[in-house]
Amino acid sequence: MKTSIFDIENWQEIGATLARNKTRTFLTAFGIFWGTAMLAMLFGGAQGFEGMMRRNFAGFATNLGGVFSNRRTVPYKGFNKGSDWDITSQDVEIIRRLAPAIEYSTEMNLRSATAAYGTQTKSANAMGVEGEYAGIMNPVIIEGRFINNSDVTNERKVAVIGKNIATSLFGSDSPIGKYISVDGIYFLTVGVASQLSEVSIGGRLDDNIVIPSTTLRRAYNSGNKVNFFVYTAPPGHSPSDNESVMRRVLATAHSISPDDKVAIEFMDISEQFEMIDKLFLGISLLALFVGFGSLMAGVIGVGNIMWIVVKERTREFGIRRAIGAKPLDITVQVLSESILLTLVAGTLGVCFGALVLGIADSLTYDPLLGHAGFELPFKTALIIVGTFFLLGSAAGTVPAIKAMKIKPIEAINDK
Amino acid sequence: MIGHLNEETVISLRDINKTYPGAVPLHVLKDISLDIRKGELVSIMGASGSGKSTLLNILGILDNYDSGTYMLDGTAIRDLSENRAAELRNRMIGFVFQSFNLISYKNALENVALPLFYQGIGRKKRNRLAMEQLERMGLADRAHHLPGELSGGQKQRVAIARAIVTNPSLILADEPTGALDSITSGEVMGVFRELNESGMTIVIVTHDPGVGASTNRIIRIADGRIEGSSDTPDFKKEQ
Ligand SMILES: Nc1ncnc2c1ncn2[C@@H]1O[C@H](COP(=O)(O)OP(=O)(O)OP(=O)(O)O)[C@@H](O)[C@H]1O
Ligand SMILES: [Mg+2]
Repeated sequence: MKTSIFDIENWQEIGATLARNKTRTFLTAFGIFWGTAMLAMLFGGAQGFEGMMRRNFAGFATNLGGVFSNRRTVPYKGFNKGSDWDITSQDVEIIRRLAPAIEYSTEMNLRSATAAYGTQTKSANAMGVEGEYAGIMNPVIIEGRFINNSDVTNERKVAVIGKNIATSLFGSDSPIGKYISVDGIYFLTVGVASQLSEVSIGGRLDDNIVIPSTTLRRAYNSGNKVNFFVYTAPPGHSPSDNESVMRRVLATAHSISPDDKVAIEFMDISEQFEMIDKLFLGISLLALFVGFGSLMAGVIGVGNIMWIVVKERTREFGIRRAIGAKPLDITVQVLSESILLTLVAGTLGVCFGALVLGIADSLTYDPLLGHAGFELPFKTALIIVGTFFLLGSAAGTVPAIKAMKIKPIEAINDK
Repeated sequence: MIGHLNEETVISLRDINKTYPGAVPLHVLKDISLDIRKGELVSIMGASGSGKSTLLNILGILDNYDSGTYMLDGTAIRDLSENRAAELRNRMIGFVFQSFNLISYKNALENVALPLFYQGIGRKKRNRLAMEQLERMGLADRAHHLPGELSGGQKQRVAIARAIVTNPSLILADEPTGALDSITSGEVMGVFRELNESGMTIVIVTHDPGVGASTNRIIRIADGRIEGSSDTPDFKKEQ
């Protein structure tokens, strides 16, 4: 047969038919347009929303674990219930030697302090850390350098100050090389730091003064006491893989009852992140569900319209059959209409969705954190249009087959 | 070609029977035998319900029959596939209906060109051939008008142009003047006669004795049987 969907005349005819029923064509096309746009926006939107949320954790290790001490809740080996204990730097060393799944680790000590430079003062958190802190929290070094292990070993009086502290004390001048006083002790400022993430341990870096852990302990006379020990697990491991070893080390050293579930407290951020992952999975599934709903609505719209078209044009198809149209010619004609409609409206819908996503992405752009990721990969766009195309044609198939079965005399007599 | 058929015979029916099935099956055509020669202008007349349209639909391969044989221009017409039937209708038969059956959203030229579209003929050639037929019908100036903008007589002439554009062996017309006044009917019959003079075979179903009289032969049908077939001597006189 020569009349195929590739015949330009066929397309002109389809265009003319669609143009004859402008309102109906528009409404059907809008259903498809909205379906694909919705699907695109939900898909890209869920992704962008996730991107925005994840940006809050930027630079924050998601496989982070930690341990700290609480008062004993079970009397043990002469220690009362309610008695205090502390993790020590010796414990930390033993744990580092024995724990099976530690990648980076640091002790952390926190004190509230007053920082001063010249006449300017500012209250801040003094935070004592070791060099590997930088591997855990990924601080943004705005100027200078971060605390390193040599600072820790040599108990240097050096400080990395948060960018808000720097602004308060120095205005627009560079703090590097200047001495600031922290609770009356002078520290050489070696760096200015900030953090990307909205979450942190021990306060936002922007408002902290970071000094070597050893220096802090000596400055505040806290001996070998450690407030927190935080660490990351290497890829493929969970932070909690270390918990049994740490519990054994700490319980032995500090006479803590094996039944005391409170005295040694572990945290495992990866569990929180797993929950967040599940939340995003849920959001994606919901988006998919809603998107699929609007897709089905669009597709059913096409099928419905094709039924009406076939009913309305039964007589016309009968005439065409009488003057020589073959059943397949009629099928192709009906199908091409639904195909053209779904392709054009579907493509426009996806483009519209991509445009909206593009606008959302530029509105939520953050110079430091980058794009949130409101976007539609080209492949996904193709899949959406392709799915609509397939389902739209499928929806048009039943009416098209009905049209094919129209007998010329029945149609012509049907007045 | 089938040997026993006269080369001049376009339609040859032998003992055609047709029953419409239903709660009460209706035996509409009873042992119809009929020959129509090439170049004839024949009318089929009979009372309403006598089976004229049924017969014409069978002749036009629009409907099946239950028994008998039908040869159209040497081709046996029996249990054809829908595709083959469509092809034969397209190439061998032109239809003219009482209610014109033009496609309302296509202009006169597009309506006339449509059978050529289904032959896979390109647009330019299609439009040229269609225009020629419209000119022949005196409707060149109406080529780009929609059917709604044409008078009944003009519509029927567009329909005739569409019927002849493929140069078929046979024109079948079911009450082509049924919806027209007597003057317009006369004009349309004039067109049929002209076509007949140029060699076309035409079968017209009609109630109108005037229409019947202006054909060369009247086949009378009553209750599904051929009652008789008579040449119309007046016909020559009218010329
Ligand atoms: N599709 C059908 N199903 C059942 N019965 C039918 C069908 N078509 C026609 N008939 C019946 O067959 C008989 C012959 O119908 P037909 O249309 O051939 O008559 P006709 O001679 O053309 O009549 P008219 O002059 O009124 O057009 C009528 O009784 C009609 O009711
Ligand atoms: Mg009839």
